[in-house]
Amino acid sequence: MAYVATRGGERAIEQAERLFRAEMGTITPERINEIKAAMPYLVDRVMGEASLYDEDIAALALAQTGGELYEAVLVLRAWRTTQPRLSVADPIEQDALFTHRRLSAAFKDIPGGQLLGPTLDYSHRLLATQVLTGEAFDPVPVEPAATPAPAHQPSVSAWQAANDLVDLPKGDATRPDDIPDITREPLLFPSKRAHTLQSLARGETGGVLALGYAAMRGYGQAHPTVNELRLAEAEIVVTHPKGTKFSAGRVKVSQAEVLSKKDEKLELGFAATLGWNEVKVIAAATLDLNSAGAPKGSATEEEFFLYHTEGVESSGFCIHFKLPHYVTFQSSLDAMRDAKARSAQQKEPAQ
Amino acid sequence: MSLKTLTRDWEPMSYGFLDASAKRELRRKMLKAVAVPGCQMPYASREVPMARGWGTGGLQVSLTLINPKTCVKVIDQGADDSVNAASIRSFLAKVSGAPTTLDTLKADLIQSRHRIPEEVLREDQVLVLQVPNPEPLRSVQPNMSIARQMHADADYGRMWLQLYEQIVRSGRIMQGASYPSMVNGRHVMTPSPIPRWDVPKLNMAKHLTILSAGREKRIFAVPPYTRVEPLVFDDVPYKVEDHAKLTCNRSGARGFFMNEIPQEDGSSTHEISDSEYGVKAIRRTEGDDIVLGDTWYKNGEMSS
Amino acid sequence: MLTVPTATATETRANHTFEALLWALSRPGMPRDIASDAEAAIIDALIDRECKVYCADPVLMPLILKTGAFLSDPTTADHAFLGKLIDVNVLESLRAGSDLYPDDGATVVANAQIGTGQLLRLSGPGVDGSLQINIDGLPQGFWAKRADCLRYPMGFDIFLIDGARVIGLPRSTQIEVL
Repeated sequence: MAYVATRGGERAIEQAERLFRAEMGTITPERINEIKAAMPYLVDRVMGEASLYDEDIAALALAQTGGELYEAVLVLRAWRTTQPRLSVADPIEQDALFTHRRLSAAFKDIPGGQLLGPTLDYSHRLLATQVLTGEAFDPVPVEPAATPAPAHQPSVSAWQAANDLVDLPKGDATRPDDIPDITREPLLFPSKRAHTLQSLARGETGGVLALGYAAMRGYGQAHPTVNELRLAEAEIVVTHPKGTKFSAGRVKVSQAEVLSKKDEKLELGFAATLGWNEVKVIAAATLDLNSAGAPKGSATEEEFFLYHTEGVESSGFCIHFKLPHYVTFQSSLDAMRDAKARSAQQKEPAQ
Repeated sequence: MSLKTLTRDWEPMSYGFLDASAKRELRRKMLKAVAVPGCQMPYASREVPMARGWGTGGLQVSLTLINPKTCVKVIDQGADDSVNAASIRSFLAKVSGAPTTLDTLKADLIQSRHRIPEEVLREDQVLVLQVPNPEPLRSVQPNMSIARQMHADADYGRMWLQLYEQIVRSGRIMQGASYPSMVNGRHVMTPSPIPRWDVPKLNMAKHLTILSAGREKRIFAVPPYTRVEPLVFDDVPYKVEDHAKLTCNRSGARGFFMNEIPQEDGSSTHEISDSEYGVKAIRRTEGDDIVLGDTWYKNGEMSS
Repeated sequence: MLTVPTATATETRANHTFEALLWALSRPGMPRDIASDAEAAIIDALIDRECKVYCADPVLMPLILKTGAFLSDPTTADHAFLGKLIDVNVLESLRAGSDLYPDDGATVVANAQIGTGQLLRLSGPGVDGSLQINIDGLPQGFWAKRADCLRYPMGFDIFLIDGARVIGLPRSTQIEVL
């Protein structure tokens, strides 16, 4: 055949994928376990963005993609979407969370107490370079407190509501099966509350931070105060077809409530996600706080930030520009050349 | 009713990758898209094992339509061997067992990015176009909610104004591909970014065209025998790319949409964009028993 | 790494049914073959727990319940299975969507006889020029009522079933009673 080797494309993409995978080598169950043990926060981040809570599967996705986070989340989302929905779990109440870390910036102390839990917040960010020269880095063991902190803590906003400082959102009596699901329906505006919170929960951490930060710096109307930040484990309670309720296990969750003053009351912004990811929930709650009445096209408008923090869509579109566009480019060239020829003609002196 | 009647046996992957509920949603939305030609219908657009922006919308439609007997052709920029076309074609075959072809005449289902083949499509064929941006009003109104209201009101004034300004400024409408077109006299659509050359092929065609934007979660359709009219002013006629007199330097085909290939001496040569049509033309010249189908353009002119 | 998944009987049937529906709706007034238990096949291909269904035909009710769909009245249903239609006024209450979201207009399935009865002239998208067809088995005034209810792009879309044949009548079709 004299024209093109029509199978050339297929060979090329096959070999390109092999090159990528060759670098990662063999993926073994040990590698998956090592990723889970060594990088729980990374595993949490991709589980949150994939909206799929399974540490093994998330670690596998990280191993398979060499830690290319957008690819890891995509492969998880594509797997998730084919899985059946067996049941909708019971709602989780704040004070039922098994809380590891909980703090409020709004008060010096709060009912239930400030609970630092695991954090690097006050650590000096020094690299343990000795590891590179052969000396292991052994963390200093934790010294347990004389009296352990209570596992369950009341919500700070409940206290504020009792003192008439804030209006809590009304309880939503929607049947669990009827809760709108962003993975089964398109996002339309004005967005359903469930869709907004789900989109923020799935949002790409960097994107949510970028827009949340813009709002914090002054492109939003409301300045956030962290009313309550929690890292916790939540019991997943489902109902057996025969009617018995049982626990299907625990998942790690993060949630943030931020507030700002509006006239005589405080206004709340809220976000939660699967896994422990403090930056994301604080930034997302800030966006939520700022969205009411935000001008069209501003970074704090719901349509703007929900579309642009969707990591699978934004990263996919970004890399799609690598695809050939020579047909559309040719079409533009044609219009340009024609316009140029016309203007050249007009500039010629009249005969 | 028992649990057994409500469930099915576990399988590693559904036929055609998408599960039954995803397919049903797409089917319901495709019917609505056909019922209101050119109107963008929102759909859930599940994730598929390909990146957004890489044909996931077209892919979902193809995966819903495909069965083991569907003969599939996939092109990107008119070419079957383009890397992403190859990737989509092999995925479709892998998850459905459907046969594939490069020949437009042999295909039942054609998934395409940015082109409509040069051979006339028949009424038994379905064309699926991948769409990056389904919103023709995006350049005058980036906010989707406001743009949606404009479609609801058939308020296309700003679109017309933009085209008019281009004529004033440049002496012509500067829109390259994805030329805004009025469908069935009611909804303006962006015909994916196919070149202007291809837009007349949609007007009163015999085949059904489904346009699907996976990332933007919108699906729309041009049924057969439906008016698709590029937005033009009475005194400034619609102009396709000036390719009528170009000749493909490899196949000798003439009067079709061409790719311009820059040469080291500063000049250009041209190659036909519909690569398989070029291949068939060459093979026919070499004496193979090849059928070249009827083409939309004859001698570089669109035949009505 | 991956073997080609096989199409189950359920999948194959749904695929064929949808192909018939899509073809029929794309070519209004042209009959297309469909499964002999056409309504059951349509329910399998389109309906699940995400749908709100109005069903006037008791025979179909168990099939609809099995899909997990939410039973509703005509005003809120996205799919209406009218069976043999007696009262034409039900058309008035069907969902027609909005200018913003025409896709909220209902999909309607009803029984009729194709090829006898009232002579109609169809035109619009999907029809090459115009087309004539005889339809029987619908109540008096059906076509006038349909025309009254449609405010394009708002409206509903109809599939008429006659045994193992279906015709599609999208809201975009103009129907003239001859």
